[in-house]
Amino acid sequence: MRHNTVSAVINLVEPWENLEPLTLDRPVGTLPFGGRYRLIDFPLSSITNAGIQNVMIVSPRSGRSVADHLRSGNDWNLDTIRGGLFNFPYNDLSLIAPQKKETLVHHYYDNTILFLKRSNSEFTVIMGTRNVCNIDLKALLRYHRERDNPVTTVYKSIDANEACPNTSVLQLTDNGMATAVLPAASKNVSPNENGKYAKSLNIYLLSTIDLIDILKEANERGDLVSLEDLMLQAVIQHSANAFEYTGFYANIHDIESYYNANMSVLKEDNFRSLLYTQRRIYTKVKNEIPTFFAKSSHVKGSLCGTGGYIEGQIDHSVIFRNVFINRNSEIKDSVIMQGTRIGAGTKIENTIIDKNVVIGPNLQLKGTPEKPLVIGKGQRIFQQEEVAND
Amino acid sequence: MNENDEMLAIILAGGQGSRLGKLTKSTAKPAIPFGGRYRIIDFTLSNCANSGINTVGVITQYQPLELNAHIGNGSSWGLDDQTGGVTVLQPFSSTEGEKFFEGTAHAIYQNIEYIDQQNPKYLLVLSGDHIYKMDYRAMLEYHKAKKASLTVGVIPVTPEEAKRFGMMNTDETDRIIEFEEKPEHPKSNKASMGIYIFNWETLRNYLTTSFSTNKELEDFGKNVIPMYLANNESAYAYSFEGYWRDVGTIQSLWQANMEFLSPYNSLNIGDHNWRINSKAQVLPPMYLTATSNINNSMVVDSCYVAGEVDHSILSQRVSVGAGSRVVDSMIMPGATIGKNVVVDHALIGEEAVIGDDAVVKGTEDDIAVVGYGEVLGVKKS
Repeated sequence: MRHNTVSAVINLVEPWENLEPLTLDRPVGTLPFGGRYRLIDFPLSSITNAGIQNVMIVSPRSGRSVADHLRSGNDWNLDTIRGGLFNFPYNDLSLIAPQKKETLVHHYYDNTILFLKRSNSEFTVIMGTRNVCNIDLKALLRYHRERDNPVTTVYKSIDANEACPNTSVLQLTDNGMATAVLPAASKNVSPNENGKYAKSLNIYLLSTIDLIDILKEANERGDLVSLEDLMLQAVIQHSANAFEYTGFYANIHDIESYYNANMSVLKEDNFRSLLYTQRRIYTKVKNEIPTFFAKSSHVKGSLCGTGGYIEGQIDHSVIFRNVFINRNSEIKDSVIMQGTRIGAGTKIENTIIDKNVVIGPNLQLKGTPEKPLVIGKGQRIFQQEEVAND
Repeated sequence: MNENDEMLAIILAGGQGSRLGKLTKSTAKPAIPFGGRYRIIDFTLSNCANSGINTVGVITQYQPLELNAHIGNGSSWGLDDQTGGVTVLQPFSSTEGEKFFEGTAHAIYQNIEYIDQQNPKYLLVLSGDHIYKMDYRAMLEYHKAKKASLTVGVIPVTPEEAKRFGMMNTDETDRIIEFEEKPEHPKSNKASMGIYIFNWETLRNYLTTSFSTNKELEDFGKNVIPMYLANNESAYAYSFEGYWRDVGTIQSLWQANMEFLSPYNSLNIGDHNWRINSKAQVLPPMYLTATSNINNSMVVDSCYVAGEVDHSILSQRVSVGAGSRVVDSMIMPGATIGKNVVVDHALIGEEAVIGDDAVVKGTEDDIAVVGYGEVLGVKKS
């Protein structure tokens, strides 16, 4: 019988409320990031770079944007005759109707258990998407095998002042074991002597048999607990090995952190360590034409996707595919997503503009680094008043 | 082939392209990069896919590795469906000897088994080295309406240009009455585009009869068309009026790239109803540093620009160091241009490395060329 070492579960059921309006019709996992990616590309690329071929995608809602992005999984080398991508939509318990919920009691994890059994894997890695990183899962597996605890989890060492009260951090013992994952505000965790927190990256590796047992027990109890909460419980119950990740990292939990994460990829060291390592980041392939920079354009310190037509000035911004920027416009410290058009003479600063937006000529859109202005998907804005009311 | 399909396309991609000098030293002409993110053959392959032709044979011979890797299973053009697909046809040995080929018609003859397997009614013969967008369905309709045995795609040229082409002289019904190769005094303005639709059964008969009796029938232009005319086969010229460029020389390749840069180019590359697809690599977005200055230029994924780029095309993974100036040039994938370099009127080959302070300067009539992987002016430390 075929033997797979590791299977993977990408859990897209993640807190999205603080990222509205960007998350009104997509999970956190399909938020555009870094000029051409979606957040899910990072865990998915880590998974395929480690040779993992069985991947389950747990979507909160219909998973339309997820399926549209992933399709057959071919762009991540997951469209082979072995294994592949398995999509499971409608898993956000807070969105499930009460009658439907009743039928799920004792059955909520049936699909996951079936996937895990059929994957025929020895280990399973569970990852979210809101922590952007480029992790070597093979190294994580080696680390896990060398240690005794049934679960291994991953952290990034961050300065205490980078943590918000809600930032989830590992409670570490003196010999480096994790005994709980808690909010930084909890009195049971404190920064270490160097003033650092062990920020949880929400990645868990454990044996598939153990995971199936955990899920079966949850089914038997019938208490409808999310997969992420089950993992938190497992860490408390068994203690976990804590693997330190040292590469580029960004946590995305609200508009400001999403904005800052995009701005931080504009630093050359950061985008090189995230995007130019041996572990490539894959994403949906599009056949866009080259981006044209007109004579009047001036672009500096920016990342740009293909298919664009640029006449204006762009400074320190992330510009996605297929963006049209008309003459005499000025874009500064902003994120402009796929298919958006900016009118002539419009000035934009500290702003996030979602996909397929049209901004008319001679307008001013201005946020602040702490509170970026956000223009939701598909909006048409032609009057200054429409900006103010937004 | 799907049973509803009548026409098989064969792309002739085996020529050496010796007029491209250094650029085709290690790769076939159809695999030469074009327009920042394409290779020349992408235009023909995309035209096939967009014309609803699902079965395409690509005949290769000279330096085929890069071309084969590029074509793969044809999925980049949507040509990997269950009943059709792209087949790369390389010379092979058999009991009759080795099936290398000498000319365009000979290439078809050597692959007669493949074509018979597909059993097409019509055979569309294409070149893999032209930049154009064309709906071959319209040409097939014309071929059928004229009840032709052969239809040749033609494009209007000036009398001056005609001296470089095979010219079709036609009667008032567009029936071809005479073929002249590179005439000094052209009688018409209809230049052959190297695009032919044949009734396969007829062509097959001519090819098998001629080669079995040792008659030379190596080339479509030199041998087949004259034989068709001599035998009074109904051969018609199909006029195409859109953008079409033969990019067989350094000069014409550079020229077509410069035309491609214009937002008003009639090729209309941005038309989503007739997309030109290519094998897309997954690469990070382009990064333009605080010192970059890009004007009238095209840039694609994974480029790194710290210098000045004016009226030029940068392909994937090209980097241009600070203080460098790239003007009126086309830089092929993976080329690295150091600091304070001048590149002017040049074609820079894939993975070439141009060291700091180097100058690569051509003129409009004499384009400078740096070959694939060539290393220029890198100081030894």
